Amino acid sequence: MKKAGFLMLLLGVCIVAALSGCANVAPWERGTLAKPHMALDPSPLQTGTRMHNYGSREAGASTNSEGGGGGCGCY
Amino acid sequence: MSKSFPLHFQQHPGNPPQQPESQSGLVQDSKSGNKSILQALTSAALVLPGLLVSPAHAADASSGSINFQYSRYQEGKRDLYSVHSDLKPIMVDTLHGNGTFFLTDRMKFSFGYTQDTWSGATPISSVPLASTAGNIPFTRRLPTGEVVSGASPFVTGAVLLDRNLNPLRIDTAGNRQVDPRNVLVLSTASPETRTQGDFGLAYEWDDATLNLGGGLSRERDYESTYGNVSGRFDFNQKLTSLKWGAGYTSSRTSAVLDHDTLGYVTNLGYADRLKFRDNLIMLEGDRHDWTSNLGLTQILGKNTLVDFNFGYTRSSGFMENPYKGVTVIFVDPERIHPDPNVPIQGNLRTVLEQRPDLRNQFAFGGKLVQYISPVDAALHLGYKFSFDDWGIHSNTFEGDWVQPLSNGWTITPRIRYYSQSSANFFNPYIVSEQAFVKTVIGDDGEPQVITYDPNKLPKHISSDHRLAGYGALSGGVVVNKQFARGIELEAGFEYYTRASSLKLGGGGNSSFADFDYYVANAAVKIDMDAVRLNQSNLQHQHAHHDHHHGHQRHGGHHMPAGIMYGHMLDKAGDFMVGYRFMYARQSGKMLHGSQRASDLDIINLGCSDIKRCSYAPDYMDMRMHMLDIMYAPTSWLNLMLMPQFMDMKMGLRELDGRPPPAIGEHRHAGTPHTTGGVSDTILMSLIKLLDSPGHRLHMGLGLSAPTGRVGLKLRRTMRNEGGLVHFDMQLGSGTWDFLPNLTYSGDAGRWYWGTQLSGTVRMEGRNDSGYRLGDVLQATTWGGFHLTDWFSASVRGVYTNRGKIHGDFNAFNNRIGPMDYPANQGGQFWDAGFGISATVPEGRFAGNHFAFEWLQPLRDDFNGFQLKRKGALNATWSYHF
Repeated sequence: MKKAGFLMLLLGVCIVAALSGCANVAPWERGTLAKPHMALDPSPLQTGTRMHNYGSREAGASTNSEGGGGGCGCY
Repeated sequence: MSKSFPLHFQQHPGNPPQQPESQSGLVQDSKSGNKSILQALTSAALVLPGLLVSPAHAADASSGSINFQYSRYQEGKRDLYSVHSDLKPIMVDTLHGNGTFFLTDRMKFSFGYTQDTWSGATPISSVPLASTAGNIPFTRRLPTGEVVSGASPFVTGAVLLDRNLNPLRIDTAGNRQVDPRNVLVLSTASPETRTQGDFGLAYEWDDATLNLGGGLSRERDYESTYGNVSGRFDFNQKLTSLKWGAGYTSSRTSAVLDHDTLGYVTNLGYADRLKFRDNLIMLEGDRHDWTSNLGLTQILGKNTLVDFNFGYTRSSGFMENPYKGVTVIFVDPERIHPDPNVPIQGNLRTVLEQRPDLRNQFAFGGKLVQYISPVDAALHLGYKFSFDDWGIHSNTFEGDWVQPLSNGWTITPRIRYYSQSSANFFNPYIVSEQAFVKTVIGDDGEPQVITYDPNKLPKHISSDHRLAGYGALSGGVVVNKQFARGIELEAGFEYYTRASSLKLGGGGNSSFADFDYYVANAAVKIDMDAVRLNQSNLQHQHAHHDHHHGHQRHGGHHMPAGIMYGHMLDKAGDFMVGYRFMYARQSGKMLHGSQRASDLDIINLGCSDIKRCSYAPDYMDMRMHMLDIMYAPTSWLNLMLMPQFMDMKMGLRELDGRPPPAIGEHRHAGTPHTTGGVSDTILMSLIKLLDSPGHRLHMGLGLSAPTGRVGLKLRRTMRNEGGLVHFDMQLGSGTWDFLPNLTYSGDAGRWYWGTQLSGTVRMEGRNDSGYRLGDVLQATTWGGFHLTDWFSASVRGVYTNRGKIHGDFNAFNNRIGPMDYPANQGGQFWDAGFGISATVPEGRFAGNHFAFEWLQPLRDDFNGFQLKRKGALNATWSYHF
């Protein structure tokens, strides 16, 4: 457990360090990023449906797990 | 729950960005000269609240919106080798609605409702194919003369094993061969419904958000309550966002151990978890899940962003699936023959599965979103790795290509690959080297029966194929069409195939459990901001119509909630979107006509000459959700589309003095019958006949399409057919129906009134199940008073005449009570309605209309024997634009 926590922290630090050198994108250059299909989740309804089905059929953990709900899936 | 994502640059689909207005002016400035001034001003502007599109608002497509979605999950048949099973594969119908509203510029409230009903064949356990257990074919003649053939689940039996404990099959020539194949043992379930409600509250600062959420999910055997908190910090000029979240879920399993297999599952080792209540054996347990996640989103360039997430979940308590068993092959060491050529006799039994009481799960995910400039598309690539202390690790790869096309169309093909390793306590079956039971001579010289020692079984064991090693490949497409007024239609399809051989690196151990499914869904999404913007534009363009609009919104819409087809849109091109909920309950006394009926009368007169009644309904709940979409192609004609979704629950009671139970009778103690899913779909046209000041008259001509199923069955218990579910529990009429109606409404000052005649005429002689529902005639009159400009109250009288059922079930039905006979349907009913109605006059929610009405039965005059009506609630929301 402790090992995993340490790995996570290390990964986080590496990511932040790597990204701090990213190109600066000025606010007026963010037009493309503002397009609806560039959203991190362009169709939340579809994502919700899929995650519910995967969640009741697969045993792998999710990274967005704070939600709760979804029922027993006892079938 | 809606999640908040840190992409704060998104404009809402179909919504003009809030920024460009100020920017476009600045761009003109820049053309005229000083670029550095432009940059300084823009930067300054961006730090002012409200000028920048807020992050959560922007990235969350459900913000300031109302969505309705229907989805159908359908599994394919499982491979039972040569056995033909008539059990239908699992099917789930899901209805989902959610809404998000901004309470202030910075605070939004969201809510969601989900209801799903599932039914179909589900695996109880797996057994060696060479054993005598499994899916045993049978053919049976029902009392109706129908011949039913299928397979029934056997979880006990015998199997021969070689010295390495491999199952042996004896072929037609009498030779013994090792047969390593396993097969799932399938049982079936009657329909069951789950409901879930959730809410969320979010507050946004300039560089941060905080979300609180919670909800409740309920089904017959499982209930969970959950709460969560999450948030986001933006920094580095909003190029970087840090996300965090934490949640807690408390769940309780309360499963009635299935009578289909109960007698055959040995629970000696787990007796402490069993509870006995009302002659039922229950398996109960609590579970607690603590979840957390941490994420980072980073803009890499003008066309690229990445997202990283980490999730940790700690679960404790009862995590078993209460309906899953594990096959144990008991081998008595004392009875193994010394000759190695003589096979070992295995005694095959089933125990309840046992999972560890603790699970720690970790997941790491990353996503890249890349703009593909030449074709104006977005490529989304994601990867996730997870592992837990049950030994399961998984890899997920997925890719979406989001391609906007012309005229508001967007198409998104997607592909996904998933692979997981097996839990370290998964096994299709186990072998235990001890006798299941044996007789020994005790110290007192008397013979004693000794059962197996449960402590010699593994502490943790499961054959649930979801814990096996396998891979899955799925692909699908989502199509969106955006309309100018803030309405968007979305349809999605996905096909998923699970295969042991698809496991990453090979080594899948569960090919007997391979299956596939598809999911199809359709959704209506209403962007309230775009709708309001459009409306204000229209009102600006047609200022002279304003009075008319105002009149309709505050006057014409005020109508008791129980009235359908009661008003028309006045102006060509107008839209209305609405939602209607209805709840009706019957309970208490059984009536014959309008008089109370004794149990003895029901037994002797409520069923038929050849079969007396044994049960009567104790209560019945019906809930209906209806989407109401209305469009005015011309000022005198309105078209309506109304899909419906229903769910029903009926509890039964045994009648006092009933005939003695038949052998193998389907018993009902404690478990109500439930059904649910898509009901009939109404298509209606309204035609204006008169529209003078204070008086309006219109006619409706409509059709009800038979999209609700009428062949729903109760599950089979071993070889005893459940048969078709009661008439009232089927989801639709099963026939094309004609729906004529005529409505007059008037108003003067603060008063309004109206009257409506409506009918339902069945246009076919019988439906697929052999009967047709009775025709319906309804007459109603109401009067109301505006207490304020926006709020009114109404009273209403209703008379309904509903005919008997014609024809009868053409397939087997158990005929256990009056609800299973066509003569005990319909009647004449008198009700009084008390309603309130409100239209939000101004502010953020202006134009939203809400109405509630309670219908109180005054008198019932049933055909035959039926359960007294207790009342009905109608609730509607509508928005006209």
